[in-house]
Amino acid sequence: MAVFGAGGYSIFVRFVKGLGASTHLSDSFPWGLWVGFDVLCGVALAAGAFTLSAAVYVLHLEKYKPLVRSAILTGTIGYLLVIFGLIMDLGHPYRIWHPLIMWNPHSVMFEISWCVTLYTTVLFMEFSPFLFEKLKWKKALRAVHAVIIPLVILGVVLSTLHQSSLGSLFLIVPYKLNPLWYTPWLPVFFFMSAIALGCAMVIVESFISSVLFRRGLEIDLLSNLGKVLVVILSIYGLARYLDLSSRGALGLIFQPGFEHAMFLAEILLAIIAPIGLLIFPRVRRNKLGLFMSATMVVVGFILNRFNTSMTGMVRFSGVKYLPSWMEISVSFMLLTIGLILFAIAAKHLKIFDEDSPCLLPWQTCRDNVVCCLPTPAKVAIFSAWAFALVLIWTGVNDFARFKPLNHPTHTESAAKSEPNDLSQYPNLPKDFTFSKTDPDIGLVTFSHSDHFLVGAECKDCHEHAFSIISTDKKGAITDYHSQKYCGSCHDGKSASNDCISCHKK
Amino acid sequence: MEKAKGFLFDITKCKLCGACWIADKERNKLPIPEGDFTKDKLSENAFLEMDRRHDRGVRFSCMHCLIPTCASVCPVAAFEKTSIGAVIYHKDRCIGCRYCVFGCPFNVPKYEWDKPLPYVRKCDFCYSRIIDGKQPACAQACPTGALIFGNRDDLILEAHRRIRENSNYVDHIYGEHEVGGTSLLLISDISMYKLGYPGNLSDGAVPSLTWEVLEKIPNVVLIGGTFLAGLWWLTNRRNEVMQAESGKKDNSSDTESGSEGGGK
Repeated sequence: MAVFGAGGYSIFVRFVKGLGASTHLSDSFPWGLWVGFDVLCGVALAAGAFTLSAAVYVLHLEKYKPLVRSAILTGTIGYLLVIFGLIMDLGHPYRIWHPLIMWNPHSVMFEISWCVTLYTTVLFMEFSPFLFEKLKWKKALRAVHAVIIPLVILGVVLSTLHQSSLGSLFLIVPYKLNPLWYTPWLPVFFFMSAIALGCAMVIVESFISSVLFRRGLEIDLLSNLGKVLVVILSIYGLARYLDLSSRGALGLIFQPGFEHAMFLAEILLAIIAPIGLLIFPRVRRNKLGLFMSATMVVVGFILNRFNTSMTGMVRFSGVKYLPSWMEISVSFMLLTIGLILFAIAAKHLKIFDEDSPCLLPWQTCRDNVVCCLPTPAKVAIFSAWAFALVLIWTGVNDFARFKPLNHPTHTESAAKSEPNDLSQYPNLPKDFTFSKTDPDIGLVTFSHSDHFLVGAECKDCHEHAFSIISTDKKGAITDYHSQKYCGSCHDGKSASNDCISCHKK
Repeated sequence: MEKAKGFLFDITKCKLCGACWIADKERNKLPIPEGDFTKDKLSENAFLEMDRRHDRGVRFSCMHCLIPTCASVCPVAAFEKTSIGAVIYHKDRCIGCRYCVFGCPFNVPKYEWDKPLPYVRKCDFCYSRIIDGKQPACAQACPTGALIFGNRDDLILEAHRRIRENSNYVDHIYGEHEVGGTSLLLISDISMYKLGYPGNLSDGAVPSLTWEVLEKIPNVVLIGGTFLAGLWWLTNRRNEVMQAESGKKDNSSDTESGSEGGGK
């Protein structure tokens, strides 16, 4: 309830007082947690749906069929939450359909809008059989089954585009994003990590639901998935390494600052630790080992999305961004809604095959393979998490001490030149308001004394002899010299009537 | 078609009188803050910032890039690069995603953070005034000739002339090539980077970075779709063959005992 109360209040503030009041965003840091978590992670966590449906329906790896339903369910919920997050984040959410009719194919965001729309539709259609089954709508069920293969292929293509385009989003800021994360390969990396994240999410959610619903775990399948994970992560890790070294950015890893700690935590959790653990069949075939490794992958890639969208942007932006409690509460509420929806669907629709009794990971070592994790693995898991937490902690600490350096010369503006002595110029004209010569420009007031205070001389400003005054051309040139215009002051008494005062050249 | 217009801002000539700043406020009907105008930073209520840096007057405003990043990133094409050079904003299209604020290499577009339904705001090159044959308000107001308005090509020639004739200038026109060229050109007797302008911009237009990826989409869809369909057909066929063979095995009972892989 507290989650919903806080979230609801935050939504209220957002739509009544605006984004400035509800978030810590600013012109220097326009994208924060709602983009970094709700959208980027929401989409990435839904990646299990396209990965597994491709494996089952396109590659005919039928053995993974028991997992595909929960993956599609997660995907559908994930995309719903992404859309909800967008509604919070967009300035004009009621115009969310604009990209569909107002095209700009040069915009990554345009591509993303289309992908979100189409893929959400596809996911709903892939999800619909579960509902139709429950409702016993046989015809509708048959209709969906007839198009399921093209649908899945469309879904995989759309996901490929969507996952990678979230990376392309950041290609536009080569001058702002830290080179640890900015690379022309961002779209490819986002896509590869989405596949890994998708597999890991399937493992994690199978585990959680097995505890929630006291059901068995498809440990064979899941440990197979763990093997796949090792392969994907290895390719991904190698690619990241090659990319960093080819751009000469490897040295940056060891440059002090919060970025390097966050980068190392990300790499450790997302790549090194899970590979190191899952490469051993004993860990892979163990519930706890598999679950802990998959959780690392999930947390590690969430960290990766955070780093790409937030950590890497801090130094350039010159602003220390930390999400406000309202941003956090809304994201937390979305997560809770997602979990509740998942639980409801899992309870009422046929998502999991229910068979064997529950085997909790902390139960005693009856089944040696599934329940008992070898001690070295336990130590490895514990130390990886501890090390990652220390890294994140140092990162946050460094961040707290970090003083953003904006443009190099802001501070110097204080050191103004000493004011000249006004008494030297007793005959300065009074403040002068130019008549409204142009309806758009309006009244412009010059203070002669202010100009002298900053050390200007007449000819500095009057080089073009009052270019701002539009003459109506009726008066003769001599009018300027007469009492009518300049001459009224420049009479040799109140102000100089030297020719050079007005006619510099 | 009219020639593309531009500004030339000569930092050595600016006396920081503030006329352009007031002109911007009046033209765009913005509230005028109290106190020192150099403290007024770019915001939703300041499309033009005049700051004192290294004892010089420095102008920050929309650069009106020749290949504008904001126009490229906007998913609904709310920004338009007009033929006269102005980059203008169609607020009725905007969905408020802030990709322009995020992407602009000069950090120019500003967002109305305190409004429930916020828009993006920035200098529009006084588009309506140019259409009427007038100068932009700030250029019109400048009394020292530090800011002059004209055809961009002519202004570049003029800037080169000034640099050639006076050795005090840094031999660089900021905006001639940066991010593919901008309509606001700046010359100075001190490095623009020292004055707070982004110094690391290369000459390539920023939007090409994303376009290189986006233009591959049709291929990804076609090749990816065909590839996946092919894979489906291949694995489906393999399964059919396997089923047929195992069926044959079942029918003819134990006549064939050797195992056969799922090749083909």
